[in-house]
Amino acid sequence: MRIINKMLMYILISAVIVSIIFPFWWMILSSFKPSTELFIFPPVIWPKQFTFENYISVWKSIPLLRYFVNTVVFAGGVTVISLLFDSMAGYAFARIDFKFREPLFIAILITMMIPFQVIMIPLFVEIYKFGLLDSYMGLIIPRATSAFGIYMMRSFFVSLPKDLEEAARVDGLNEYRIFWNIMLPLCKPAFVTLGIIILMNNWNDLLYPMMLTSSTEMRTLSAGLAMFVGDKVIEYGPMLAASALSILPLFILYLFAQKYFIEGVATSGLK
Amino acid sequence: MNMSNITRKMNKPQVAAFIFILPSLITIFLFWVIPLVASIAMSFMNVDLFFSRTDFVGIENYINMYHDSRFWNALYNTFRFMLMEMPLQISISLLLAVFISRNTPFSKFTRTVLYIPVICSLTAMGILWSLLLDPTLGYYAYLLKVVGFETVGFLKSTTWAMPAIAVMTVWKNFGLTMVILSAAMLSVPKSLYEAATLDGAGNVAQFFNVTLPLIVPALGFCVITNTIDSLKVFDQVYTMTQGGPLNSTETIVQYIYNRGFKIAPFNLGYASSIAVILFMIIIVISLVMYKYFIDKETV
Repeated sequence: MRIINKMLMYILISAVIVSIIFPFWWMILSSFKPSTELFIFPPVIWPKQFTFENYISVWKSIPLLRYFVNTVVFAGGVTVISLLFDSMAGYAFARIDFKFREPLFIAILITMMIPFQVIMIPLFVEIYKFGLLDSYMGLIIPRATSAFGIYMMRSFFVSLPKDLEEAARVDGLNEYRIFWNIMLPLCKPAFVTLGIIILMNNWNDLLYPMMLTSSTEMRTLSAGLAMFVGDKVIEYGPMLAASALSILPLFILYLFAQKYFIEGVATSGLK
Repeated sequence: MNMSNITRKMNKPQVAAFIFILPSLITIFLFWVIPLVASIAMSFMNVDLFFSRTDFVGIENYINMYHDSRFWNALYNTFRFMLMEMPLQISISLLLAVFISRNTPFSKFTRTVLYIPVICSLTAMGILWSLLLDPTLGYYAYLLKVVGFETVGFLKSTTWAMPAIAVMTVWKNFGLTMVILSAAMLSVPKSLYEAATLDGAGNVAQFFNVTLPLIVPALGFCVITNTIDSLKVFDQVYTMTQGGPLNSTETIVQYIYNRGFKIAPFNLGYASSIAVILFMIIIVISLVMYKYFIDKETV
């Protein structure tokens, strides 16, 4: 009985694993199929003949490289700036005693509950008024800090031993030097976890970049692909190739750093 | 005041703290607080796409919304999606979390694999699934035909489009919920399981009497965030059906977007009033759920 149960469980788990992998497997294989093979019914999984035709075609029909560059600048820019600002604020909230510290921190936590979808229209108007629509600045500045990031960095700084900056103060270092020379270097593990979360969220975001950009040259991977789906300009095979390419960078990062991807969220849910 | 005086002032911890939090405060105030206030204010105004004219119209937008069947349709679709997606995602995640909490090499491998869709964009996965479900070329459409479903394009059917989007969303997101729940399960003290085994409780009884009550905080967190996320659903609908067929998958956020940026006349005021209603729905539902889980926890 025990063994049968165990086997059933392993069969079930394997079925789940297959159902997760299959769409990716099929996407990659099909993206190398010539269009004649894509149209065969019933569909075959393994291509008889490998071709780069779909990749070449999507490269020609949409500015994929441009989207890629935009996504790197946007998601990468947001990550770097946000890590700096979040850690500055998190440090102040955790280690310096100042007026209104508690109410300010609570106010910041409350803003975490505002759904982006609720404020997107006034945000659009604001960015328009600032003349930043369709620009990197307009994409990066509103995301230069996040309540979640401040919260996470504060928790990190709270966990550090208190005598760190006492010793530095005795040595005559000013507040900025303490932060920059002593605290920031200690942040590396927290930066990796938070950085991955911020990078992933922005890399994969659709609504925000779609709303704040209008020209083809400024679209990110997500926004660009979504627009082409809407306009039905590209065909089946090239669409598969484009989707595969768009997830490739994060996928490679995941292969090397999956521990950080998973551990970051696992702990954030416990708070 | 000379330079050294300024530097001395700057070095005071109070001043330094202020400088450290200033960039964050400005950003959050400018891009979260002001838009929220503006959203509420705009819901009482008629505003066009580029703010060229703005007039105060009182609660006219809300009255129009009440008579707008497309708004009710979007609200209905959003709840339909939430009721299909959230329970399914939570139950699948719970079940698999038990397995991946075992800490064997195979369960670790499983965790790594099941998390893959989480790191991919909803956009790309939405496109992938719509291609898989394509009635003539998609492999899933083919498999479904083999088991007896007619080749209706799943995403072109008013009955099946929404369930298809919900299933795709569960597939894409459950890894995240599973990892959070599994972390909570791992923090349950081993001694409790040993005691339960001594009392003769089987695996199933242990799950319901030991595991479940002890992971209530994490479970509550997952249920609430999951519910909120499904009320805000947009990306996958946009790439899979764009709200169609016949608006049968148009959700609230979709409708806000369409009213604001897609359908002429672009009325940002009207779109904002829908956004305000969405905000209130989200707040009420999260508070009710939060209260429910807090009560559960203390019992």
